[in-house]
Amino acid sequence: MKKKFWLIPVLFCMLFLSGCRQKVADQAVLKNAQSSKTITWGVEADMKLFSLIDVRDDVHKGFEIDLAKAITKQILGPSGQAKFVTATAQSRIPLLKNGNVDAVIATMSITPERKKVIDFSNSYFDAGESLLVPVRSSIKNVHDLNGKTVIGIVGDNSSEVVKKFAPKAKVIGMQNYGQAVSALKSHQGDALVSDNGVLYGLAVENPSLVVTGGTFTKEPYGIAINKQQKPFERAVNRAITQLQHSGEYNHLIKKWFGQVPGFNYKEMYQQ
Amino acid sequence: MINIFTHFGSQLVVGLGWTLLCSLITLVFSSIIGTVLALLQMLPSKLVHLLCRIYIEVFRNIPLLVIVMFLYLIIPLYFFKINGFTAGTIGLTLYTSAFIAEIIRSGIQSVEAGQLEGARSTGMTYWQAMRYVVLPQAFKIVIPSLGNQFVNLIKDSSILAFVAGFDLLYQANAIASKTFDTINSYLVVGILYLLLTMPLSYYMHYLEKKLS
Amino acid sequence: MSMIEFRNVQKFYGKFHALHDINLKIDRGETVVLIGPSGSGKSTLIRTINQLESIEGGQLIVNNRDLSDPKTDTNLLRRDVGMVFQHFNLYANKNVLENIMLAPRIVSRMPEAENKQRALELLKMVGLADKAENMPCQLSGGQKQRVAIARSLAMRPKLLLFDEPTSALDPEMIDEVLQVIKKVTTDSDMTSLIVTHEMGFAKEVANRVIFMDQGHIIEDDASRDFFQQPQTERAQQFLSKIIAH
Repeated sequence: MKKKFWLIPVLFCMLFLSGCRQKVADQAVLKNAQSSKTITWGVEADMKLFSLIDVRDDVHKGFEIDLAKAITKQILGPSGQAKFVTATAQSRIPLLKNGNVDAVIATMSITPERKKVIDFSNSYFDAGESLLVPVRSSIKNVHDLNGKTVIGIVGDNSSEVVKKFAPKAKVIGMQNYGQAVSALKSHQGDALVSDNGVLYGLAVENPSLVVTGGTFTKEPYGIAINKQQKPFERAVNRAITQLQHSGEYNHLIKKWFGQVPGFNYKEMYQQ
Repeated sequence: MINIFTHFGSQLVVGLGWTLLCSLITLVFSSIIGTVLALLQMLPSKLVHLLCRIYIEVFRNIPLLVIVMFLYLIIPLYFFKINGFTAGTIGLTLYTSAFIAEIIRSGIQSVEAGQLEGARSTGMTYWQAMRYVVLPQAFKIVIPSLGNQFVNLIKDSSILAFVAGFDLLYQANAIASKTFDTINSYLVVGILYLLLTMPLSYYMHYLEKKLS
Repeated sequence: MSMIEFRNVQKFYGKFHALHDINLKIDRGETVVLIGPSGSGKSTLIRTINQLESIEGGQLIVNNRDLSDPKTDTNLLRRDVGMVFQHFNLYANKNVLENIMLAPRIVSRMPEAENKQRALELLKMVGLADKAENMPCQLSGGQKQRVAIARSLAMRPKLLLFDEPTSALDPEMIDEVLQVIKKVTTDSDMTSLIVTHEMGFAKEVANRVIFMDQGHIIEDDASRDFFQQPQTERAQQFLSKIIAH
């Protein structure tokens, strides 16, 4: 047994490491971006319409990608480059806090809990929770979920929101939307709960599934930015406003959501 | 890190429980299935041998996640309802038993052929000779590899996280996304996994020493 | 009435013809020694008798059981046929006493007390009563082989097969093993078949000698006749080589 004492210092080291934070994130993001002419964005890989890696050319495509590019050019000028780093629900905040990315644009709702850890830009998309169900499902709105199994994404706040409306619902968390949709199709759950925008994207891909009941919360998406980066945050907000004024924002909305059945994209128009 | 233990204690205990249950079930059944598969391969029947090889090669060479996802998503479509924990545990058992079969087979083959002949020449049936003479020696030889496999099995039970099996890793993901403290959340479950695997490692070492 | 009867028995390993048209009768109570150069088929022949090797043609009857009939129960046959191997094949995971007691316990379900008493008697007979609790790895080669002989007797066989029982032993241990074999084969009305290279021993215990070469039985004589005057040239050559060594 004596030999195993080395374990104790190892465990202590682990404790210490967990206490230390990389300080990269404290550097001034806006200044760095202006000198390197690049903004690095954390984006998702599997979010149809918002940010999806196209398997044919390995390039991220979607509303958030186009918006991020537009914001980058707005801040840095025409030569500004947007760089994209794939993030998951689990890794997006650590990536941001460690300074691996300058901002995260990844269907993140602005919530008070998240605001304790990071800052958000102004909203760029009026999202809200909604339900995706099989075409002939008896579930019409969130109150029908009592006693049912609801599929959410691990790391989403959807599960807690559902519990508020339907306390007797059982929530199971899947790792990503692909698996969540498969689980829904395999009857592992009765409904998939997530943001309306995301769910419309999933419904476009899967004709056997429909979005039902409208949104039952208001959870607009914001761009996540590190705390103590006010200059960068202001620059982003200014860029968003400018894009909305110029009509470029509405153009992007129409480009990505114009074809979605049952989704009135004009409601999303700004100005 | 202490915060996570105090705030999410009950959630972690639930995770630990599911991980432990899955590991125990898998350990018992994959040991039995693995041993049976190893023995069946020793039979003269070419067909039985072929079927065993197919089983082993299929489950040994497909990623665990694929096996489990298949069970979780395909079985309920065509056969019967199966929840994440069940699908994960069955998948892990199928996967692990293929490895255990190979370990036991190598153990049996490293026991001298004379041991089996000696036993059979006294009138023992094949199964009696295996049970009383060959297998005890084979098990002794393969204890270190079996120990490795058992430790792997406990860690592999984290596959449950991918099918909503509520195990330790699932809870870690949930805690991480709630607290945004990914590093500490994973560190905590890392330590809990150590608590499960270390005693097993020690026990296998002890067994190895005791039998040699 | 014969204990073993080979009728035109053939044995192949793939294309290799290991046993050619073997015809042989061994009566109950006989002690037969099987000699010949290595690769001549002696071990193969002896191993067909308890079906450790199958035969591909002809008929083989052992203790009134027809081994060429697939319905014959090999395990029942083997209860009556003890075998001693060149490399002892003691169960490495069991002590000396357990090596002897295992088959009577699980094959013939002998009561434990009777089984133990019998095992101790056998150990005494081979001169190893004090080694009952030892593991095989703690014994010398000669001691291992004596335990193996005791084990082969535990099921009270009617026929004993010895497959080169002293070939793997250091020279100084050969004699203790031969003494035990002699005791076992001459004491009773046991039928024994012994493959060996020990010519002095063969002369002493055998009442019959069979000489094999290249899968054929070349000579089958009474022991005295064979050693005084072998009939064939090949047997003469073989004997002169062995004795010259």
